[in-house]
Amino acid sequence: MAEEILIVAAILIFLGVAFSVLRLIIGRTVIDRAAAVDTLTVVSISLIALYAHVAGRSIYLDVALVYGVLSFLAVLAIARYLEQGL
Amino acid sequence: MLELFVYLLCGSILVSGLLAVLLDSTLAAAVSGGLASLFAAVCYVLLGAPDVAMTEASIGSGLAVLIFLYAIRRTTEKTP
Repeated sequence: MAEEILIVAAILIFLGVAFSVLRLIIGRTVIDRAAAVDTLTVVSISLIALYAHVAGRSIYLDVALVYGVLSFLAVLAIARYLEQGL
Repeated sequence: MLELFVYLLCGSILVSGLLAVLLDSTLAAAVSGGLASLFAAVCYVLLGAPDVAMTEASIGSGLAVLIFLYAIRRTTEKTP
């Protein structure tokens, strides 16, 4: 049962990466691309957490934690840039 | 399964680098450069180097985009 759940999660992560990259390539405005990058950050955090479970090494969860804490920085910088504030 | 994900991430790094070179807007190019660094960090985790991935995620994906945007803002003419 657990195996099937992990495979479904991997497929969902794959679909998330694929559609976000598609949005990034098509993206008409910069705001679309910034939203795609933010989505890809969240999907990458879930991928790292999934791999930490598959590999059985809890040190990888620290990477996901640091990534989640620091990932807002790029999107915040883009938002400030678009508001002429940076 | 793991090899498939690593190949997928390497292809994504390639696509992001091509986008950073080919896009017209400098802002979109900076975003794409940060994205290549993001995929590289995930690739490092899958290949078994969590400390390198942590550094890449914090500096490459966060700080580099910030500095690029600051430089773009400082070097372009202000539109009235």
